[in-house]
Amino acid sequence: MHRLGSLIVKSGLRNRRRSALTIASTAASLCLLGILMAMYGALFYGGDETPAQALRLITHHKVGLADAMPVSYRDKIRSLAGVRDAMVWQWFGGTYKDARDQRNFFARFAVEPDRFFRIRPEIVISGDAKRAFENGRTACIATEKLARKFGWKTGERITLVGDIFPVTLELTLAGTYTDPENSEALFFSQDYLRESLPVGNSQRDQAGAFQVQAMSAADVVKVAREIDAAFDNSPAPTKTESERAFQLSFVSFLGNLKLFLAAVSGAIAFTLLLVSGNTISMSVRERVGEVGILKTLGFTPGMILGMILGESAVISGIGGGMGVALAAVICVGLRQGAGGFANLQTMAVTPAVAALAMGTAVLIGLVSSVGPAVSASRTSILESLRYTG
Amino acid sequence: MSEAVIETTKLTKEFIRDEFHVVALKDADLTVNRGDFVALMGPSGSGKSTLLHLIAAMDRPSSGEIRVLGQDLRALTDRAIAHWRNAHIGFIFQSFNLLPVLSALENVELPLKLTNLKGAERMEHAATALKLVGLGDRLGHYPRQLSGGQEQRVAIARAIVTDPDLILADEPTGNLDAASATDVLTMLARLNKEFGKTIVMVTHDPHAASFATRVRHLEKGLLLPEGQAPEEWNAAAAHPGSEG
Ligand SMILES: Nc1ncnc2c1ncn2[C@@H]1O[C@H](COP(=O)(O)OP(=O)(O)OP(=O)(O)O)[C@@H](O)[C@H]1O
Ligand SMILES: [Mg+2]
Repeated sequence: MHRLGSLIVKSGLRNRRRSALTIASTAASLCLLGILMAMYGALFYGGDETPAQALRLITHHKVGLADAMPVSYRDKIRSLAGVRDAMVWQWFGGTYKDARDQRNFFARFAVEPDRFFRIRPEIVISGDAKRAFENGRTACIATEKLARKFGWKTGERITLVGDIFPVTLELTLAGTYTDPENSEALFFSQDYLRESLPVGNSQRDQAGAFQVQAMSAADVVKVAREIDAAFDNSPAPTKTESERAFQLSFVSFLGNLKLFLAAVSGAIAFTLLLVSGNTISMSVRERVGEVGILKTLGFTPGMILGMILGESAVISGIGGGMGVALAAVICVGLRQGAGGFANLQTMAVTPAVAALAMGTAVLIGLVSSVGPAVSASRTSILESLRYTG
Repeated sequence: MSEAVIETTKLTKEFIRDEFHVVALKDADLTVNRGDFVALMGPSGSGKSTLLHLIAAMDRPSSGEIRVLGQDLRALTDRAIAHWRNAHIGFIFQSFNLLPVLSALENVELPLKLTNLKGAERMEHAATALKLVGLGDRLGHYPRQLSGGQEQRVAIARAIVTDPDLILADEPTGNLDAASATDVLTMLARLNKEFGKTIVMVTHDPHAASFATRVRHLEKGLLLPEGQAPEEWNAAAAHPGSEG
């Protein structure tokens, strides 16, 4: 079949305008498909789960993230078998400077500094900054990325005005750190938050979530089940998930994104299938006569079949390649604009995504041409020749 | 000793589609020997193309026997027939039937792609064939850049490039002006005389037929006995006694 390669390419590209349009529509669809696949990959398989992350679980209220649990749960959780450590993991919310400016939004958590680095060992931070964070009542740490964005220096005064919590926190930047997630986040002591709350405020004794560290990754499922069992009959039952699953559930929180992405991808693929199917059958129909000529010269039905499929694969391959390349470029741009949405920062047209997208393109080309190809290969010589000039 | 290249016995082709029932060829007994240049003549619809297609194994007979180059065509599968045709038959159409996306050289090379020849050898063979038909200076031209007569010569080059035993032509001069037609016919006659190619050519045109060494007439699906044109045959049929 390789000898027929040049004929396949020449036949496939003979009608410049139509080929260009087909390639362009394939490229556009595949670009979109590539971006969606990259997004899907980043959201649901993004980054690699680090060994430390594999050990971590999040316990939150069964009803949802907005409901709080007694802070005393932490000690109960710590006492369970298979649990190495647990700490308060309190989403603070609030505003920094002007809330209307989207730039000022970043993740802020109240945590337990003395446990923080044990539970999150992947964090890279200087010894000084670490000590300052553990010892300073109003100390906070931020990712380097976040500090760079606002031009923060160590010792910077950062004021957060609460919304969920009726407090204004005056924090001091103890230092910056990096972590593999490369997110924009700020952490401060939950003791400071608690003390800032008025005496008698029920929020003092509550926590929105706990971060739990299991003894081993193999225990994670069992530990999650045991934690939830321990609070099953209490007024505030819990739901415990691996950190990764939690992040994903956070993502699908925004509507059923997974299904949505899959549905849009499917619609794109299906549309492309119809468009390219139509084009291919049009171009095959125009060339029935040529098929008759080739058969007269001794080309077998199988060769005709292969040539038409090949032509279609060439066209959709070229379009697919261009689309995937374009998607890769666009992903770089989107990644830079992804801001605090940590998962999307890993969004990229990886070799796997590229292969999947290209495979889809070529498969669509083949599927859409299989009908015309089979019928052309089966049409008798004389029937085909009737269509020549 | 003349060796039979084509032998048909009671060769019949019927087309049956719904209420249509056309006997395109009826009980044709034809023998063509090696080195013959046979012209098949007859009015439109008389079955000339049908007979030619059966010889080229482009269609299968309804009944009767057909051996071409010693091969019983009815015994071959479609795939085997394709290979057989590539190896043994050169076919020339009335409307040239070159592929527009390929240059003259590439068009002529096309049948060689099905052989074991390497790329360079294929090009060499194709160029030689084009030189033989007087188009050595038009190798890179595309069909749209050639005149009808030149296109037909490219088609002849394509038909002979595999060095077939049998050349079949269906009204090869039907779309040509008188001068180009004479060129093409001279070329066929030369292939017959100098290269010893066996040729069967369908034509309406007595001038074209005059280049052949033998002429056979068809009428209404019947192959007339050698030496008989339709009028004589009609006359013969009207007077029993003269054998048919
Ligand atoms: N595929 C087909 N289906 C039905 N009838 C057919 C088919 N092919 C040929 N015929 C009929 O068979 C008869 C002989 O046709 P054929 O093409 O052999 O004639 P011809 O002698 O080549 O005529 P022409 O000089 O016009 O080319 C005609 O009546 C034609 O209509
Ligand atoms: Mg005819």
